[in-house]
Amino acid sequence: MKSRLALFVVSLCLGLFLLGCDNRSGGQGAPGATLSQLAGGGSPVGQGEAGWLGELLGYVVLPFLLEGALLAVQISALAMVGGVLLGLGLALMRLSSYAPIRVIAWIYIWLVRGTPQLLQLVFLYDALPGIGIKLDTFTTAVIGFALNEAAFSAEIIRGGILSVNRNQTVAAASLGMGPLLALRRIILPQAMRAILPGMANDTIGMIKGTSIASVIFVNELTFRSQQIVGQNFKFFTVFAAAGVIYLMLTSAISLLQSLLEHRFNHELEPAVRGASSWRRFVGWGPSWLPGRVAALPAGVVGTAPAIPAPRPETAAERSAHGLLWREHLLAASPQQADQDARPFVVCDNVCKSYGGREVVRNLDLTVKRGEVVTIIGPSGSGKSTLLRLINHLEHVDWGEIKIDGQYVGYEKRGTAVRPIRDLAKARADARIGMVFQQFNLFNHLTAVQNISEAPIQVYGEEPKRARNLALSLLASVGLARHADHLPHRLSGGQQQRVAIARALAISPRLMLFDEPTSALDPELVGEVLAVIRRLAEAGMTMIVVTHEIRFAREVADRVVFIDEGSIVEQGTPAEVLDNPREERTQRFLRMVEREETVLDA
Amino acid sequence: MVRSKLLFAVAVVLSSSAVMLGTVPAAWAADPPKCEPDKLATKYPSLVGKKVIIGQDGESPPYSFRDPKDFNSIIGADADMVRAAFKCIGGQFEFKLGGWSGLLPAVIAGQADVMWDNLYFTTERAKQVDYVIYMIAGTGALVKKGNPKNITGMDTVCGLTATAGLGTVEEAAFRDQSEKCKAAGKAAITLMTYPDIPAGTRLIQNDRADILLSDLAIVDQLSENNPAVFQRGFKVVSDFKIGVAMKKGNEDLLKAIADALTVLQAEGVQKKIYEQYKLDPALMQPIAIQR
Repeated sequence: MKSRLALFVVSLCLGLFLLGCDNRSGGQGAPGATLSQLAGGGSPVGQGEAGWLGELLGYVVLPFLLEGALLAVQISALAMVGGVLLGLGLALMRLSSYAPIRVIAWIYIWLVRGTPQLLQLVFLYDALPGIGIKLDTFTTAVIGFALNEAAFSAEIIRGGILSVNRNQTVAAASLGMGPLLALRRIILPQAMRAILPGMANDTIGMIKGTSIASVIFVNELTFRSQQIVGQNFKFFTVFAAAGVIYLMLTSAISLLQSLLEHRFNHELEPAVRGASSWRRFVGWGPSWLPGRVAALPAGVVGTAPAIPAPRPETAAERSAHGLLWREHLLAASPQQADQDARPFVVCDNVCKSYGGREVVRNLDLTVKRGEVVTIIGPSGSGKSTLLRLINHLEHVDWGEIKIDGQYVGYEKRGTAVRPIRDLAKARADARIGMVFQQFNLFNHLTAVQNISEAPIQVYGEEPKRARNLALSLLASVGLARHADHLPHRLSGGQQQRVAIARALAISPRLMLFDEPTSALDPELVGEVLAVIRRLAEAGMTMIVVTHEIRFAREVADRVVFIDEGSIVEQGTPAEVLDNPREERTQRFLRMVEREETVLDA
Repeated sequence: MVRSKLLFAVAVVLSSSAVMLGTVPAAWAADPPKCEPDKLATKYPSLVGKKVIIGQDGESPPYSFRDPKDFNSIIGADADMVRAAFKCIGGQFEFKLGGWSGLLPAVIAGQADVMWDNLYFTTERAKQVDYVIYMIAGTGALVKKGNPKNITGMDTVCGLTATAGLGTVEEAAFRDQSEKCKAAGKAAITLMTYPDIPAGTRLIQNDRADILLSDLAIVDQLSENNPAVFQRGFKVVSDFKIGVAMKKGNEDLLKAIADALTVLQAEGVQKKIYEQYKLDPALMQPIAIQR
């Protein structure tokens, strides 16, 4: 496909060159001859000798035309910057949860996208003076194109944001990142891949489209070439020259697009990102050019010398890091010793519905400091929702939840509690770590960056210290060798261990695990459970939603069985798992047991 | 100095005779206008320190186009008349180039002060702008060299393909003629419109259209400069008047331009410029303000 395209370009160039030669040899009556006769004021003899190719090149370097091109570039550059900023705002408005804001953005986009830009420019230039706003030509063009671009880029940016998996936002929120911070650091960098091609399209379209601004006296490239043609009628060479200039400008944009796309391609390892820009631009190139690695399939990249295979960590390293990790955790909860008896997590009569369906109903649960509670129950019983209510990723409909005697992002209003505005700060202050079923690592950040992101961005930790902490946490979960690897290069078990390290990096007082091993292959479950087990030994307060009955029996201080949004029974593992009193618990355990037997077989 | 005095004398004589013929408004008879650039402040006080913005399109020879020797400069019959007029007035001016269709809206909006670019007088336009009339329109038919379709008048266009500028009086003329053709039992005219003159001439050159109808001077210049490609099929001198347009309420500017043009016409400057650009001096009209 690509080679066919290259062949086409080459033959096109050759054809053009031959045409030029043919004209130079001077066949009267040929189309070229008619053109030179049309030239009017020019000197036909000179043109015959130089050929139209020379004349064309003369127009390409003509300052009069290049000034017009510069004007088009200036207008486009300013309008793109303004348009993209405005477009980002509109995209966020379109994604807002408030209907009036969504509607305003929608109307703007509908109006601007649906009316001819020529009319918009004439309106800005010729109608606004009627109400006392008189803008000059350049300003009108910049504003006019920016307002128009805003409507188009808003939809491109919105598409990019929507293309980023929602679990990235949830993970960012669980780390105490506010919406804007998450947008800037997590969502947009990942959305860029989807946004960039559309933006490059728009930029190229705008550079060429500035020609319509001639109605408001913008003397850009096309209008200037029309003026030359109007005077000498050499439309072929003049327009071709304008075309060549446009092609040079748009080529520069294509090159920039390719560079930026490479920069935001989070599937490339950092070492590979330095690949040759030529290869990136044209899509192919000789194998001796640097960057060949980037073109190889993902599986082969692993064998490239740029990324050394991780050697297994030694036992000594692991235990050394283990100590650091414990110190970090102890520092997080200094008063642990004397307040052991008081309940740490208190859920009181908590209710939550989605679309009329009650997911959590009148649920009461207390967790003591340092206690490990595992929650078991059938799918859809409200286990995950309960966790999301505890760290306030979701609002409670009724009832209240306190962590260490404090609400997380609620305030008391009369008898009910209501969410406060600055939820992100409340979540950050609460220091509740959360680990998700699907890991939810930030795809564009390396393992160590995933871990240090929240300490630096949310808690203002000094970057170097945050990195050292991240490295020690990575080592503590046995992944020191994978610090600079992107998530997609790690196995599921490794990703989940990075996710645990990430949650630990915010010095959590409480850890929530939402089915941390459900998405893992059976042989990888063990490595993750081992990490959680060590956390339990270290005295971390934890609520673990799991289907691993054996693990629950081994680690949990208390097992809670939930069905249809309420607690059916709870007690020690021996009570709930070995001698369940309720019929529903018995049925559930029998079923899980059967599955485990099948798996073991 | 002596020469200008002599010219002035000639101007006085000419304008006096014009008064006798009744072609110049009576108000000027008592005090014939003259070029007094030093007296700008007393004659047209609102023009002092003002740079009058002249809207032209820069792509329609012979009226307004880029100088082939220096693309940064605008020449043409209209452009040269602007220069001469403002030299006479003693005021400042500046050309502002934009697409022809954007010029009049810009004048009405106050983004430009004057549209001086081969603009026909219509009563509709005169509701929003005042004119200083200086010329009458001639229409020319551009056809392929040798006039292969034997086009000699509008009645010979039936059944052919014709082209005219979008939204122009020529376009309307073709539509009108097409109806007449049908009424006479002949084939209708296939009409193509073009956005700018060079685009229209390409239609003729490439045999996509048989006849192009446009301003007489433009047609004449095209056929003269490209004798192997084009020739003039026929010409019609219409009763369309052409004038300088400015927004209503600019009395000083209106009077200044009318006065200057009166002098330029009387002194023969207009004729000289028209001859330079191969415009037929017979198209010149007595200078008159028309509102």
